[in-house]
Amino acid sequence: MKNLQISPKEYATVILVESNLLERENFIQISLEEKWNVVICEDGLDVIQWLNNNSSADLLVIEENSMPISGYQIADYIKTELGLALPVIITTGKIPIVQERRVLAYAEGILKKPFVAASTILQIRETLKKSIELAPEKNDYYSLNYLKDLSGGDEEFIMELLKVFSASINSELKNLNEGLSQKDYLRIREIAHGIKPSFDMIENEKAKGICLLLDSIAEEKDIPKLIEELNLEFANINKQLINDFPELNLI
Amino acid sequence: MKKILVIEDNPMVIKSLEFKLTKDGNDVMIAHDGREAMKLLKDNAFDLILTDLMLPFVTGNELISYIKKNTPKTPIIVLSTSTQENIIMDAFNMGVDDFITKPFSPNELSLRVRRLLSKN
Repeated sequence: MKNLQISPKEYATVILVESNLLERENFIQISLEEKWNVVICEDGLDVIQWLNNNSSADLLVIEENSMPISGYQIADYIKTELGLALPVIITTGKIPIVQERRVLAYAEGILKKPFVAASTILQIRETLKKSIELAPEKNDYYSLNYLKDLSGGDEEFIMELLKVFSASINSELKNLNEGLSQKDYLRIREIAHGIKPSFDMIENEKAKGICLLLDSIAEEKDIPKLIEELNLEFANINKQLINDFPELNLI
Repeated sequence: MKKILVIEDNPMVIKSLEFKLTKDGNDVMIAHDGREAMKLLKDNAFDLILTDLMLPFVTGNELISYIKKNTPKTPIIVLSTSTQENIIMDAFNMGVDDFITKPFSPNELSLRVRRLLSKN
């Protein structure tokens, strides 16, 4: 496996599986223009190994008839078995593409070979843009899985809920800190009980666990430390949300 | 269209319930605390009530007693973060029809609501 570090780390990491060496070189030349970080994998098994050993990539570009496992099978395996929301583009030399519907059942896009700079760049940019919009990088602070399930993938509603989350927790943490300064432990318990489902809905187990402790078994001497930890965890969640969804204008 | 009263104080849970129940074809009204709920109950007839137990001003238990006294046929589903057996048992002993823990499973909520609405 050859990892071609052709651009700074902050740019998109694109995994390429292409057996034709001329096409491979062609793709690398195109990627230089876009500053993609291209990782060359020899086949699908190589891709799985790379994904298991490295931090997440942004896109997989894989040939339809990759051996020994086809591009479709790899796309399916990555999504269902590895549970990664990695967008996949299937490349094919067959023109016209007669099985477009079949390809798009597994992948986010199709790219015709030989690679032509304009159409390759356009297709990859569009796929990367969609993937950023729909699936922010996996992080330690929140997950949208529950909200997606709840809303049937309604993006507008998910964004609305994230705004509600940020604003309501921000306000309740102020109340919680006020409760602490007044040593009003009943109020603290009630607030922690009330906000626990919000952390549960974005699947932050740490904050949910702190709320559970504050709500039930925490001793008075432990409460200041737990509230401090909760404040910090929320600050981290909010920072991540601001980073992932600047359009929400969260504070 | 069935009329459902949701009594809940967590804004995220409120939004989620409103979204899901409306999407399922129901007419949803929201009360953010026990007092607001009592006002709405005086002025409206509901086909189903979904209520939290820990509410500002009037507790969920007080509210359940009030509903049972004034509109005994209206089915009640308790929504709570609590999974403690005694809390669940207390709710059923007060006459509630169902108990769902938060955060709720969207499909499970739809099924349970539909089941109670079709009974009545």
